[in-house]
Amino acid sequence: MPLVDPVTMSSSISKGAAAKAQSLVKGTTAATSKDTAILLSTHEQQPISLRQTPLAQSARHVFPALLATGFLVRFNALVADPVSTMKTALAVVVALQLAYAVICLPVVGSQQGKPARKPRPGEKNLKKGSLGNGVGDGPGARVYVTAIVALLLSTFLTPVLYAAMVLFGAPFLTHGAHTFLCAAHLAALVLFPIFFVHGVDSASWAAVGSFQAPFDETFGGLVGGVVGAWLGAVPIPLDWDREWQKWPVTILCGIYAGHLLMRLLGGTVLFGKRF
Amino acid sequence: MAPPSKPATSKSPASSSSEYKKIAAQFAAAKRAKEAKEAKEASEIQEETKKEQEAINLRERQRDAIEKRRKASFERRWLWNLGFWVWMLIIHIVGIGYFTSGFLLTRLMLDDKSTCASAPTLNTSITGSDSGILAPWKGKGTVDGGCWHPRTFERAVVVVIDALRYDFTVPMDDNAPFHNAFPFLYETARRSPHHAFLRPFIADPPTATLQRLKGLTTGTLPTFVDIGSSFSGTAIEEDNLLMQLRGAGKRIVHLGDDTWDALFPGYFEGNLSRAYDSFNVWDLHTVDNGVMEHIFPLMEKKNDWDLLIAHCLGVDHAGHRYGPDHDEMTKKLAQMNTFISDLAAKMDDKTVLIVMGDHGMDGKGDHGGESDEEVEAALWMYSKKPMFGRTKPEYVTPPATAKIRPVNQIDFVPTLALMMGIPIPFNNLGRPIEEAFVGPTGSAWDNLAAAERTTAAGIKRYQASYFAARGIEQAATPGSPAELWNKAERLVGSAHATKGQERWASVYAAYADYQVETLKRCKELWGSFDLKQMALGIAIMALGVISLLTYVSKGVEDDSAIVENPELDLAEKRLEMQGVAPATETVPGRDLDKRLVRGAALGFFPVFFGGLLQSYLSGVGDWYRGAAFGSLTSIAMVLVVLYDSRDVLLNLMPDTFWGWLAVVFTVSQSVGFASNSYTIWEDSILLFFVATFGFASALSALKLSDPAERYLSIYNSIVFVILGRVASFSKLCREEQMPYCTSTYYASATSSTSAPWQLVIPFLVFLILPSIVKAYLVPSRSYEGLAPNWIGYVFRTGLFMGATYWVLDAADNGNWFPSLPANTLKSFSVYLAQIILGLSLIAGTTAFVWSPPCVSIYTAARPGTSQAQVTVLGYGNAHGARYLLLPLNILAAIFLLSKPMGAGALGLMMWQILALVEILDYNSLTNSAIGPIMLAILGNFYFFKTGHQAALSTIQWDSAFIPLFTIRYPWSPLVVTLNTFAGQILAAATVPLIVLWKVGPPRKGLLTRLSRSFGVFIAYFAVEALATMAWAGHLRRHLMLFRVFNPRFMTAAVVLIVVDIFGMLIGLAGFRCNTLSVGEVFGWAE
Repeated sequence: MPLVDPVTMSSSISKGAAAKAQSLVKGTTAATSKDTAILLSTHEQQPISLRQTPLAQSARHVFPALLATGFLVRFNALVADPVSTMKTALAVVVALQLAYAVICLPVVGSQQGKPARKPRPGEKNLKKGSLGNGVGDGPGARVYVTAIVALLLSTFLTPVLYAAMVLFGAPFLTHGAHTFLCAAHLAALVLFPIFFVHGVDSASWAAVGSFQAPFDETFGGLVGGVVGAWLGAVPIPLDWDREWQKWPVTILCGIYAGHLLMRLLGGTVLFGKRF
Repeated sequence: MAPPSKPATSKSPASSSSEYKKIAAQFAAAKRAKEAKEAKEASEIQEETKKEQEAINLRERQRDAIEKRRKASFERRWLWNLGFWVWMLIIHIVGIGYFTSGFLLTRLMLDDKSTCASAPTLNTSITGSDSGILAPWKGKGTVDGGCWHPRTFERAVVVVIDALRYDFTVPMDDNAPFHNAFPFLYETARRSPHHAFLRPFIADPPTATLQRLKGLTTGTLPTFVDIGSSFSGTAIEEDNLLMQLRGAGKRIVHLGDDTWDALFPGYFEGNLSRAYDSFNVWDLHTVDNGVMEHIFPLMEKKNDWDLLIAHCLGVDHAGHRYGPDHDEMTKKLAQMNTFISDLAAKMDDKTVLIVMGDHGMDGKGDHGGESDEEVEAALWMYSKKPMFGRTKPEYVTPPATAKIRPVNQIDFVPTLALMMGIPIPFNNLGRPIEEAFVGPTGSAWDNLAAAERTTAAGIKRYQASYFAARGIEQAATPGSPAELWNKAERLVGSAHATKGQERWASVYAAYADYQVETLKRCKELWGSFDLKQMALGIAIMALGVISLLTYVSKGVEDDSAIVENPELDLAEKRLEMQGVAPATETVPGRDLDKRLVRGAALGFFPVFFGGLLQSYLSGVGDWYRGAAFGSLTSIAMVLVVLYDSRDVLLNLMPDTFWGWLAVVFTVSQSVGFASNSYTIWEDSILLFFVATFGFASALSALKLSDPAERYLSIYNSIVFVILGRVASFSKLCREEQMPYCTSTYYASATSSTSAPWQLVIPFLVFLILPSIVKAYLVPSRSYEGLAPNWIGYVFRTGLFMGATYWVLDAADNGNWFPSLPANTLKSFSVYLAQIILGLSLIAGTTAFVWSPPCVSIYTAARPGTSQAQVTVLGYGNAHGARYLLLPLNILAAIFLLSKPMGAGALGLMMWQILALVEILDYNSLTNSAIGPIMLAILGNFYFFKTGHQAALSTIQWDSAFIPLFTIRYPWSPLVVTLNTFAGQILAAATVPLIVLWKVGPPRKGLLTRLSRSFGVFIAYFAVEALATMAWAGHLRRHLMLFRVFNPRFMTAAVVLIVVDIFGMLIGLAGFRCNTLSVGEVFGWAE
């Protein structure tokens, strides 16, 4: 309903985005803030390749394997007591994801995409500083800071995911902890890596959000997690009277299965491909 | 109707048509002025004004001619298009009709009648002679002595208390208003077991009164198809209790529900009987008071009758109107308590008093289905003389719940027949109730075994006739009825050789086994289907869906051919002026509808009439066969025509995300109908789809380059999702959803009235919705013309009156003003409802037909030049804004006819639809299939949110009495339809909005686009109907067939017909008016 003045709304959001971007990493400038509405056609996003270190290349499949194993091991406990299992598992998952990000993923700005558009005059310097100290910077304190900030941002978005789940029909007044923890797992799995590699660059997020980004491990993981969560709702209504049909076990299964599968595919066979 | 006048322009109440002309004239004048200026400029040399004027006049005339031709062409094409949809409707009706005729089978009715002289036990035993259990009694073979069994009563009084559920009659440990209010039956049965007994009485579904009465008098199982005749009772021709009594010269008196009169015309003693209208569910007392007034005098004249039937409707009507959880129900049950105890006091030794419920009621007081609460009624028998016994001492206390020791309702038939000495009706499948035959001591096993054997022999005889008539062989395999029968007969033989009563107990059990097994077999057998008819129906529906999809898939490329180019249009106009034949042949596919309708007619009528002729000549009477084959040939012709224009089904493969989403929504749901779980939880699934679409469109909007459009699109998407979730709180749970669902639609789960807080909801809609609608019109400057008055005042007033209606209704139900004379509130609210419907449907439609577009036209001199500037406010949404008035009128009507929660839900639906069309417009999806599919999903979603489920018992019959005092045809069914399918009807009315929203006058190909959108919309429902039909056919042996699959199929079938009809009546017709009006003012685009 067009009750909101579009002009005010848009400007306030871009201002907010700019402010956030500035506060995120020191040295960030408002280079992108003016261009929140960058046309995707002029800004072809590049897929994110993992870091080329031997450690990263060997660890990239260890983490998913660990997640999958952990999920399978804890499945019975999850069915028996979803809340406490998800609570304890969340810490492990976050730790694994942090390690994965630090070891395998390129921190935001380090893999400066070869810009498809020509930098406008006067923009050169600003662009260079965008969300990082320049190309080829090795992992340093910035990596850890970014990881923590990305984790915080994912945490902030968890209530949004929770709200989305409720809007899809999750219980509104009951099972609050169930749904919220489920949303937290989803955030840790799919949002955190994206924040880590893209920061809060609105053009990248617009590309990711509108499913226009090229496939890589992070985007694949996002698509897989979201679609998995969606498909996870399918078995709930069936009258099989199984314990595992209870909320939110199937959703969590869908999230993990979809995320891990698409993370694998996105990093390998689908890499660089688009919808 | 009060024609709203535009305050600024005229003080006198200008009729809308004159205003219409004024706007048209304004526009024409402005355009003329502009043209004049342009002409002036074009001619370099200043010519005289006269010549100029001539040129203008010529142009004007030519344009008029073109406009006229284009208008005529539009009207013609519209008619052909309508023809195509009529054909589609016929195909749907024939397909559904064929399937139904094979699926909802009727039992083969036998004309045989039992006679007193030919007891079934003659010549049935394996020894070939009648080895009776009882010694011959006095008067054997005569009615007075007892035809087949010794007579025990001369007279019977049967009191049917409609919808007397078993738990109403037994003590319960709670304070529910419907419990412990009717203790008389239980108390007498417990205190004097030799005089009375009380047992649960299980009705066979369908639990509608008419079917129940058939079962209660014939002893057979009704078949599902009979339920359609519930509104027009037809006489029973099968052998039945009343027929036997009348044949024996007995006199029958009837008081109460007039359904009996319809079933047994001419059976009753005219001067003593009193029949009362049965469908006026608002009236709790007339029938009961009439029964009580006339029954007691009859007790003094016992020699004037032999069977007295009294049918009370108060409990049933209290259930329908208020639900069981209401004070009225307590009062009604207490009244029945007094009535029955008074009546029992009037009995004599020769009369048996029987009180029974014909069915139960569900949690909200409705019935019709086969849930436990609907089938569990109570049966109580009373005799002044000690006649009744128990086979075990613990049976003295009546069962605590209906799950313990129930009797089947058909068991009443042999019981009453044997007690009164008449033959058991030929088709009976029930067995005698043991309490009535085992004697006061509880040890008369020989009597009980004899009764059971006689009944079983009757069943055996009936089965033999039935199988002979159908040509089926009865096998004597182990466990088969034949085997059980032989076993029982052998037991009789051996029992004769021994002594003591106990030996007969096993004989009794053996015959009971036979009866139980036979009944089970019969239930299976009568679930038998005519597969040929069903397959034919499915084939017609499937081919109909294929041709619909092919039709929809055509013309995707046509759209790109339509270029919005004013210069091209001008050139085209010039050509037309020079007399070059216009449009039809140049634009491909323009006359497609015409060719389709011709093809369909050519395919249908010869075969149809051929079938008629063939049937007439052969005299078989299967005239309808022509319809099936005619449909098939006409589909074939249509497909040929469609193929002719190189349209293939491959076009249907979605190539965008949105296309896929539309397919996934439709197909996954259709596949899901194979599972009872997905059918039961359909409302949640639809919410899931609504949310999926909203989130997808919000994400997709990130692609939009214009920030304002992007944010508005995201904003509308989120509003769309949230509104859907808010609406989902309005729930009416079906029994199968328990315990995971809480109903919120009514005040409580055991009520069908609204809670006081719910009455506020319609007022919120009245306050908010018109402003919301305005907010959607203002950005396109379309809140002009008639819109401010119509939406701001008339529509708002309609909503206010609708909200007021429900307050009056609640005041009437709750008796808030006891000082008011009876019926004051009721009359007032009925007249109010009539005014609202008149305003919204009659005045509203009239206003819509004559309304000018929602635009304002200003002419001003362009500053700095001598040119005139024409400003048309609302030009960009001239089509959509005007069309919106029509769905709003429909909304005002269904807003009244839905209960307060439903009214709130419908308000949300309108808002969601507006958000939807905005989203579609921003994301350029108006041509995508997702728009109509989402609209269809919303329609179905709000079917559930307006207090309905795919179950017969959720039909809100009481809505028929919102604008009427009594049942009146055709209005009552129409009102119930508007109530039941409010969601789908509103969705069907808004299909054109997808095509017309934010569309200005010079748009071509609107009819084609509308037709395609409408096709997609219909396709969703057609696919659902086809899927539910196919699944119901496939799962015809499934345990849940009549509880889940069949009701869903019937819902889908009726919904399809409803959207077909209302889509044409509202959508297509409204589109025509709209286009004519816009074209009249702004000229014709094509």
